[in-house]
Amino acid sequence: MNNRFLDRLAAAVSPGALLRDPVELLTYESDALVHLRATPGAAVLPRSAAEVQAVVRLCHEHHVPFVARGHGTGLSGGALPVADGILIVLSRLNRILDIDIPNLRVTVEPGVTNAEITRQVAPLGCYYAPDPSSQSVCSIGGNIAENSGGAHCLKYGFTVHHVLGVEAVLPTGDMIQVGGAVLDPPGLDLLGVMVGSEGTLAVVTKATLRLLRRPEAVLTLLAGFGSIDEAGEAVSAIIGHGIVPAAVEMMDRLTIDAAEAAVHPDFPKTGAVLIVELDGPQDEVHELFAIVERVCHASGASTIEIARDAAARDRIWRGRKAAFAAMGRVSPNYYVQDGVVPRTRLPEVLRRIRDLEARSGLRIGNVFHAGDGNLHPLICYDEAIAGQAEHAEAVASEILQYCIDAGGSITGEHGVGADKSKHMSKMFGPNDLDAMRMVRSAFDPAAICNPGKVFPTPRLCGEVPGPYRQHPIERAGLAERF
Amino acid sequence: MPIRLLEPPDAETAAAMLAQSATDGLSLVPRGCGTKLSWGGDLPRVDAFLSTRLLSSPIDHFAGDLVATVPAGATLAEVNAVLAHERQWLPIDPAGAAQATIGGIVATNDSGPRRQKHGATRDLIIGIEIALADGRRARAGGRVVKNVAGYDLARLMCGSFGTLAVILSATFKLAPLAPASRTVIADVHDAAGASDLALQINAAPLSPSAIELQAPRHRLLIRFETTEAAAIRQSQAALAIVEAAHGTGTVVEDEGERDAWRRHEALVWAPGGLVLKVSVLPTEVAGVLTELERLAAGTGFAYAVVGRAALGVLAVRVDAPDDISVMAVEALRRVAARRGGAAIVIRAPAGVMARVDPWGDVGAASAMMQAVKSRFDPLNTLSPGRGPAGL
Repeated sequence: MNNRFLDRLAAAVSPGALLRDPVELLTYESDALVHLRATPGAAVLPRSAAEVQAVVRLCHEHHVPFVARGHGTGLSGGALPVADGILIVLSRLNRILDIDIPNLRVTVEPGVTNAEITRQVAPLGCYYAPDPSSQSVCSIGGNIAENSGGAHCLKYGFTVHHVLGVEAVLPTGDMIQVGGAVLDPPGLDLLGVMVGSEGTLAVVTKATLRLLRRPEAVLTLLAGFGSIDEAGEAVSAIIGHGIVPAAVEMMDRLTIDAAEAAVHPDFPKTGAVLIVELDGPQDEVHELFAIVERVCHASGASTIEIARDAAARDRIWRGRKAAFAAMGRVSPNYYVQDGVVPRTRLPEVLRRIRDLEARSGLRIGNVFHAGDGNLHPLICYDEAIAGQAEHAEAVASEILQYCIDAGGSITGEHGVGADKSKHMSKMFGPNDLDAMRMVRSAFDPAAICNPGKVFPTPRLCGEVPGPYRQHPIERAGLAERF
Repeated sequence: MPIRLLEPPDAETAAAMLAQSATDGLSLVPRGCGTKLSWGGDLPRVDAFLSTRLLSSPIDHFAGDLVATVPAGATLAEVNAVLAHERQWLPIDPAGAAQATIGGIVATNDSGPRRQKHGATRDLIIGIEIALADGRRARAGGRVVKNVAGYDLARLMCGSFGTLAVILSATFKLAPLAPASRTVIADVHDAAGASDLALQINAAPLSPSAIELQAPRHRLLIRFETTEAAAIRQSQAALAIVEAAHGTGTVVEDEGERDAWRRHEALVWAPGGLVLKVSVLPTEVAGVLTELERLAAGTGFAYAVVGRAALGVLAVRVDAPDDISVMAVEALRRVAARRGGAAIVIRAPAGVMARVDPWGDVGAASAMMQAVKSRFDPLNTLSPGRGPAGL
């Protein structure tokens, strides 16, 4: 990396905001997908949008690739640095700039954490709806890059439904305003394509988000079923009754046992558990909840527990949210997959996964957002056994193929990033990818903005397959995977 | 030379026709039933219309997944008739749903009163198939609601007015049909009162599917679509809020309700006239209406407004001679801009459209919109000049 560039970079940001020391850079080698690592040429921690713009402009002038990073909680290597590139760390842009309750808007910098927004507006009866499980630590900038969802996206949608406008620095260093506090700005919906573009189109420096008012009532139910199929029937019947729950989650026996060992949620020891949550006006919720209860009984639920208060609801969600990390109790290592199938194809895909489990000799736990068919198979293995990590990764890849075969997707919420770019051509044809590249080249003709992500490229040399390893923030108890 | 009408019987032929047009250097304007052909900028150069009307089947309804893939040429009414067999619908209710095709609705990102609950077209679309300017077919998104693989080209196509590609089919998230519906019709004294009431209803623990405003008569239509018991209870609760705000209200159902909504739509969307879309923050709606009232009284033009009061999106109709209409566009644009919003001309008599820029100032993002357009349509043969930012 040439010295003139580095000198200019140092001058563009506050003193001490340019990191070059290899020890300091260690922190930034990966996001939460820790098996993909690269050391950036330098990291910068700008304090303002103007500094971000100055950094990007220099990268553009010197043809240096850059990667924007929020709080590093991504699970697909979307913030994996480019060796010899610049990592732009946005954690210092962490101010909430404006809260407008009458219009249900909030304007924030990208480094503000997801949960911080809700914490600020909760006393005013409001919340920010997208709730990825890392919400206590993940940044809004990262949420926008990944179009994050959460357990409640079945009813409330994803980040794209809640971002109204952004200020962003283009890869040329130009600053643009896309959308704003007002709906339907004239022009192409650039915002729609920027959200979820995984940091490959621009660096967001400010965002205006939509708030929601807290629902009057929330009711949560935990039902035990003999099998995943029975629980799946219950979900179909709920949807068939015209009910769109706020959340529908399912766990199989292996993950129930793991959660029990880890956080003792006292779930029934059945083949599967189903969690259904409804929210909205009091009367409406109670009326619909009675139908959900009836449906669960009719579908063969052996136990039904209704959370009568916040403590009971928290316990149920704790059991569900612990499912990932709890696998450590039943297996030395595990690989977390993220795939989606049409909800009605769940039984058939789960049968294929069970066959694969038998064939592969690796245990596979299943925990999923059942309302929208988002699977998170947990493939258990032992890295001490030679070849088993590679075997687990191959098994995880095969499950993605089942998702594609069933008309689903290779990722529902973790993103493509560096991890799954190799699978993109299984889901999309050359023309589809070319159409996406047209957008890419319009925004970033020099291909310096988070290169190597999303689009398929040949596999990197020396890359090792990816067992699950606990991220430092998980070890610190700050976040759970979901 | 007369404008040709190309009417491909299937998606493959549509794409081949695009490829041929590109080779011949012909400019194409995609169209469905033509209900919105007068929307957007004037079409300075049209060699052929490419009609999607024959691309009208099959409608693939995955009822258990609350998802459907529908061809561009099917009308919204045709689609919803099929989805109703499973008691579901595509919850978009723009004006003229009987004639409007899916392709046109996506291309204009059109929506209606139920946007309050269900969002606009861009909020419901989950996948798309398009024919690119060079005749290749491409897809993005898919048929699952939760999906973050690849760029979201489906949303990019929403509101692109046929300037980037030809939409062949789209996949949407659906909603169950509600078993019951009630509408509260509330009359209040002035524009500020109507807007305040809308914000109060929106802040109450209710789940209205629409909070619609009418002006100049200062009326709100508040709709509840849920279970029978909840619709009754919530409409009564809304009525109490109306009365506490010194308004008068009645609850209508069945034919009376359908009639109220038909008349509501016709206020602005009956044939003819100039129609603008004004977007502002919800708290600015009252100010816009008050200024509009003053403007109309001062200049002597007739107007009508319907709109999503709690979302800050209004459709304003002006019936006046061309000169005054042009002036009204400019004045409303200033009013909206001063209040941090924007005004777009949706539809206008030819004599007015020729004298105004329907889109107004698109801002600093217009250069990026041009860049996207130049990648998708390098020869500028798709609806040239019709789109925002001169696309």
